[in-house]
Amino acid sequence: MTRLRYVGSDEGGSNLAYVNARVRARRAALLDEADYRKLIRMGPNEIARFLEETEYEREVNALGARHSGVDLVEYALNENLSRHFRDMLDWADGHLYEQIARYLRKFDAWNIKTALRGIYTDSERAEIENDLIRAGELSDAQLNAMLDAANVEAVIEASSGTMFHDALVEAFDAFEETNLLFPLENAIDRVFFENLISGVAVDAGPAARVLGGQRLSTGSPTDIYHEFLIAEIDFVNVRNALRIARSGAEMDTADYLIEGGRLFDAAELARLVRNMDDLVAVIRESRYGDRLSDALNALEEAESMLEVERAIDVALVEYGDWLGSRHPVSVCPVVSYILAKELEVRNIRAIARGREAGLSEEEIREELVMP
Amino acid sequence: MLELLTDPTILEAAANEYTVEAAEAWSEGIRVGAAALSVGLAALASGYAERQIGAAAVGAMAEDPSTFGRGLILTVLPETLVIFAIVVIFLV
Repeated sequence: MTRLRYVGSDEGGSNLAYVNARVRARRAALLDEADYRKLIRMGPNEIARFLEETEYEREVNALGARHSGVDLVEYALNENLSRHFRDMLDWADGHLYEQIARYLRKFDAWNIKTALRGIYTDSERAEIENDLIRAGELSDAQLNAMLDAANVEAVIEASSGTMFHDALVEAFDAFEETNLLFPLENAIDRVFFENLISGVAVDAGPAARVLGGQRLSTGSPTDIYHEFLIAEIDFVNVRNALRIARSGAEMDTADYLIEGGRLFDAAELARLVRNMDDLVAVIRESRYGDRLSDALNALEEAESMLEVERAIDVALVEYGDWLGSRHPVSVCPVVSYILAKELEVRNIRAIARGREAGLSEEEIREELVMP
Repeated sequence: MLELLTDPTILEAAANEYTVEAAEAWSEGIRVGAAALSVGLAALASGYAERQIGAAAVGAMAEDPSTFGRGLILTVLPETLVIFAIVVIFLV
């Protein structure tokens, strides 16, 4: 059945207004700083009770009979995340549906990476399963096949039929040589982002395809989404570049650069990762300089990369919000909601786990990522 | 009697009266047509405007039913276009 194309609809039958209204309502329902302050002082069971009075009510009630404490919080968070993201796919039509679905494949990427990491480190099956986020396209059968895999090769086998399979097979040699997961994880990221950006470029029409994302934004919703994705790729590249530069490892950076970004090309990146100061200077002078200044300041002060990575996450959500306010009825608010929701779930999980491990309030507060 | 019917002056007067009536009917028709067109176009425009607002309002209501009142008011705001168009009916 062909979908009706509304007169004047710029996004091929998308119901942007409807989805935006719902997403913004959910965005407003996310926990705020005051809630986090309360949560930090609570034990795992209290956290579960607190969540029962929020967005997470349905999941906490459903799972409350079977689990308790940190487990309950953990399961409820994952279930809730999956439900919210599935809802968005239920609401969306037309191009918007495709854009969201393509973006949500990030959880497929996450799940395959989690399975790889879990199998690689010989973790318990239940532990790996806890960390899966069932919000992407992979079916339960596919995910279970990955969980049941005996080794990394079997996980790759189980991913056949997905868009990641070929790249994983290719990267497997590098994995065997180095016995590091980085080549495999990077292959997944590359496939994900390259698929994402090429999909949008096709949507945006011939101009975008010819010039490969280098054209000026005309301000249409697709263009703005395109811009956001480029920023996300750039941020991932920045993160990888900083990691490589910090570790001082000699690696072929071209393999780790995700195509489609604006900030680096392969040759430049190879030069920059050898010199941290140059790399930081280039990032500071780039179009993202202001947004990433917190991250770069943290880099200069901090001992660990964690704080830098958190600052990059926050910068990305803020960039999404900024684009969303430039074009209020577009896919951007949806994407920045996805990011914000992910951060919230990550924060609550960090609090619950931190409390259980007996961390101090101060230590837990440092773990939180708040846009 | 026959004289009366063939009298040129009487015939002329009758013809003139007929033309005036026709012209009046014609202009009345144009007026009604214009009013109908203005109401119709205004209704189309408000429908177009309400499409997005209604979709957004229903979305907001689905998340939070307490927004029903505000959503309804915002949805019918473009309806004022049709009300102005109805004023036009009385003006023409």
